[in-house]
Amino acid sequence: MAQEKVLVIGAGPAGLSAARELTNLGVDVILVERESYLGGTPKKLKYSLLFPELRPASEVLDPLIKSVEENSNVKIYKESIVEGAKSEGNGFIVSIKDKNGKVTTEKVGAIIAASGFEHFDSRRKYEYGYGIIPNIYQISDVERMLSENKLVTTKGTPPKRVAILLCVGSRDATVGNTYCSRVCCAVSIKQAMEIKQRIPDAVVHIYYMDIRTYGLMEDKLYWKSQLEYRVGYIRGRISEFMRGPDDTVVIKGEDTMNLNRALVVPYDMVILANGMELGLGSKQVAKALGLEFEEHGFVKPLDPDRFPVLSTRKGVFLAGAITGPKTISDSITEGTAAAIKAYEYVTKGVWEEPVKVQVSSH
Amino acid sequence: MSVQSVEKKLEEEIKSEFPYADNVDWNEVYQRIIYRYSTPHGLQHVKEELYKLEDEGEIIVHHIKPENNPVEVQTLNGFPKKIPTTKLWHHKSCGQCGHIPGYPTSVFWMMNKLEVDYLDEPHQTSCTGWNYHASGASNPVALAGVFVRNMWRAYETGYYPLIHCGTSFGHYKEVRNMIILHKEIREKLRPIMRKLGMDIVIPEEIVHYSEWLFVMSKKAAQQKKYDLSNIKAAVHTPCHVYKLVPEDTIYDPAVYQGRRPAAPTGTVMNFGAKIVDYSTWWDCCGFGFRHILTEREFSRSFALFKKVIPAVEEGHADVFVTSDTGCVTTLDKSQWVGKAHGLNYNLPVLSDAQFAAIAMGADPYLIAQIHWHATDVEGFLRKIGVPVDDYKEKFLQYLQDLREGKAEPQYLYPKHRKIDFYLALPDRVKWYKGNK
Amino acid sequence: MVNKALLSTLPDDPRYLDASYNVQGPLPEEDRNLLSNLKPEERELAKQFWEAVKSDFRFNEYLRGCLNCGVCTSGCPAAKFYDFGPREMIQYMMRNEVDKIWEFVNKKVWACVQCYTCSMRCPFNNEIAGLIMLLREYAVKFALPSAKEVLAPYRRVLLTVITMGNQVTPDMIQPDAFPDWGPQAVEESKNMDVYRKAIPVDLLQRTDIGWHSSLQTAVEIMTIFIESGVLDSIKKIDKDLYDMIMDIYEERKQTLEEIKEKWKKGELKEEDLPDSWLEL
Repeated sequence: MAQEKVLVIGAGPAGLSAARELTNLGVDVILVERESYLGGTPKKLKYSLLFPELRPASEVLDPLIKSVEENSNVKIYKESIVEGAKSEGNGFIVSIKDKNGKVTTEKVGAIIAASGFEHFDSRRKYEYGYGIIPNIYQISDVERMLSENKLVTTKGTPPKRVAILLCVGSRDATVGNTYCSRVCCAVSIKQAMEIKQRIPDAVVHIYYMDIRTYGLMEDKLYWKSQLEYRVGYIRGRISEFMRGPDDTVVIKGEDTMNLNRALVVPYDMVILANGMELGLGSKQVAKALGLEFEEHGFVKPLDPDRFPVLSTRKGVFLAGAITGPKTISDSITEGTAAAIKAYEYVTKGVWEEPVKVQVSSH
Repeated sequence: MSVQSVEKKLEEEIKSEFPYADNVDWNEVYQRIIYRYSTPHGLQHVKEELYKLEDEGEIIVHHIKPENNPVEVQTLNGFPKKIPTTKLWHHKSCGQCGHIPGYPTSVFWMMNKLEVDYLDEPHQTSCTGWNYHASGASNPVALAGVFVRNMWRAYETGYYPLIHCGTSFGHYKEVRNMIILHKEIREKLRPIMRKLGMDIVIPEEIVHYSEWLFVMSKKAAQQKKYDLSNIKAAVHTPCHVYKLVPEDTIYDPAVYQGRRPAAPTGTVMNFGAKIVDYSTWWDCCGFGFRHILTEREFSRSFALFKKVIPAVEEGHADVFVTSDTGCVTTLDKSQWVGKAHGLNYNLPVLSDAQFAAIAMGADPYLIAQIHWHATDVEGFLRKIGVPVDDYKEKFLQYLQDLREGKAEPQYLYPKHRKIDFYLALPDRVKWYKGNK
Repeated sequence: MVNKALLSTLPDDPRYLDASYNVQGPLPEEDRNLLSNLKPEERELAKQFWEAVKSDFRFNEYLRGCLNCGVCTSGCPAAKFYDFGPREMIQYMMRNEVDKIWEFVNKKVWACVQCYTCSMRCPFNNEIAGLIMLLREYAVKFALPSAKEVLAPYRRVLLTVITMGNQVTPDMIQPDAFPDWGPQAVEESKNMDVYRKAIPVDLLQRTDIGWHSSLQTAVEIMTIFIESGVLDSIKKIDKDLYDMIMDIYEERKQTLEEIKEKWKKGELKEEDLPDSWLEL
């Protein structure tokens, strides 16, 4: 039997995890990454600490990157994209194009698409004035500011009053995103605590509709932020931001715990918890591989309950935020799962088709 | 922005993301990108239904034809909207004609200057939107009937309706959607229209004059007579222009990177004035429909505190430009009363039409009719170098002559025939336009 | 068994709910709402009103759901000046609270300025300002006291728009009618005749109508308002206004038919007509 090869698209947490598992199983990996480095969005946007343990992102990502980068069984194409995948037998002939336009073809037995998400571009919620009004940032901007230790306003001083608004571009029909992005509550609370760690006298308010620190994160984030950091939680979604005097930002919201009580409050800095979308990168991957989309615009798995890491095309597997908003640990888990499924496929030809089951009682 | 340029923009976006992918068939990828900018409000769906109903013979669609010389622009979600630029039927505004007559006359005057063919007729009613939003004394069938009757009058002349009032514009967009999506409304409406000898006709686009003015503004600005580069203009975008059926309002990348409605901000920019931002740009003017008539303490407080004062104190505006009837009225009339509380504000308020016409050299009194305004429009005119006193002297003499019967009124287009004030006769276009 | 005599004296205060439980037992929420806040004579009407609103074809299209986020109220101009908020209304509707809706429609619903900011921003895509209009429409249809009160100073405008097809008359600006508009309004009203004559469009030269609509147009809009049932609602609220409009309609319709007939037969000399049908 010839040496089996699997193509992994995207070198974020999901892709790296899949590549590592596959090599552990004795399968060679071809890893294609659009950027010039491995690590995906967490590296691109320079994530600071990770929730819920508040440990540095590099502590989680760097060992993963290292294990893949130093593995001689992984062939890495950086600054490249997959342009197409022709079926041949049970496998594929894939064409990979680099930034100079050079096309290389590779023969692989299976494909794992792990090209991830993009952050919602808050400029689309134009009443928020992101990019027009100074001192309004997105969580994706703030991660970099925190990791570079440069959390300052346009005046060059640390903010004394910070507002964080949840659900920007999520749970919002006006921009066509009716889903919850799952991680922004946790990320925002984590950022609030990080801000309080660095600027202990800062006032930090989180404007929320619901706090979704599901599972084991509840006390580690939601409770801890109040117990130890005195982060304020105000129930209401902000409807617009106004330019305030002296480069402050004035928020307009409703304190929904009281009926008809408007809030008009100034802050030095406002952070928009922008959600997750599929993004152009994964759209291109889906197009090149001929995958289908589900109703929210993410890539559709073969069966979201029974086969969450199988795509609608035979031999193509999915991992991470390409199928919907996910945490880093979920993505790593899915990378592992997809690796196992791809291994079964290339070694034993296992591909389960969804079967219509007659259920009598529903 | 045309469809081609919308696609070009998307193409550029993808190119910058994927500099190395130049020979992929992107059709399907484009589809997903459009999804990214779309909302479930579903204007596309309404449009599809419109043409379906036309095919089924349920309604007549008044199409924008090549003779209307349409220009394609971009709406909120990136979809194209056709704006006809000539052969237009004026759907006037009752508030403008009643209290700000320089508003429609500025539009007519500019159309004369730009050699735009138009028809203005006595066969139009108010949209009744003001009445409806103020009092609730109407119902969906009546609203639909008023809309379709006016649209029919335009349709039978072959001239394309151009809506002057912001409320009419927003309200008609809603009514159009309602007629298209609800069979029961069409069924109740049809017998009424039949009784009037009409059928259900719907124009393929509802177009506001400020959209027309925006697409014409670069061309119009070539005839600019005064330099506006020292002018700081605050803009109030009327709520009913962009908050009713929001996805059917035009946006342009050149106007706040496409993040505020293109009109009237883009028009003011194209005429060379500097746009100043103020914190409450999004707030309403305070008109309130019933408030302006019966609860004016709300209207005047809101206009002054939430609009005029921020525009002056934050933006240091020289002029307030807006594009709807109620907004001009409320912002203009609500400033004087501030004196009672020591708030001395006198920010000139103009519609974009008056602003543009004055810049193009229109007579500020005879055409822009600024003597109907309560704010210091003359001060603004002096700032841009209009010889106000000469115009004023001439106009006062004209008024005197009219009073004494020494002068005949002047007209922007020939007077209507007498019978036209009684009957809407099918051959009336020929009287005014010949056999064009 | 519910002791109604006792119930009607119970204040609407959660502290009393436990006490009332002893009396009324486990009542469904809708019934408790009805009993707690409404005067007995209003209960039936309030119920009918709410059922009518809910059965309108627009209701389920406009009301979708509520995340209780407050975006509507925070952008609301009226909420800054009145004890009013769109979220309040949406919540009453979602909870089916007849008594609260009734209270709302009898006062607060008229505070809204119809700017549609709430509708544009609502993340659940509720057509909130449209729901306000639905309540107002039905308040007029049911001839509720609040609608009567609101329409009283409005009857002249209604008369003009229905009989002439034009909402606004220039001569409504009278020297004493708009004192807060300052001296310019006084100047305008004093010179109204000549100011109008100096407008360079023949349709705009009258003082009693915004633009001069044709007789046929005026009859057509009256026909639409009558045929669509708007006049039936007005009849209940303001009988005098209704009679006035109907008289005008009959008269103008007849005049129109005569003129049409004569014109068809070629018997009408255009120069014999008065300049305006308003002078007939």
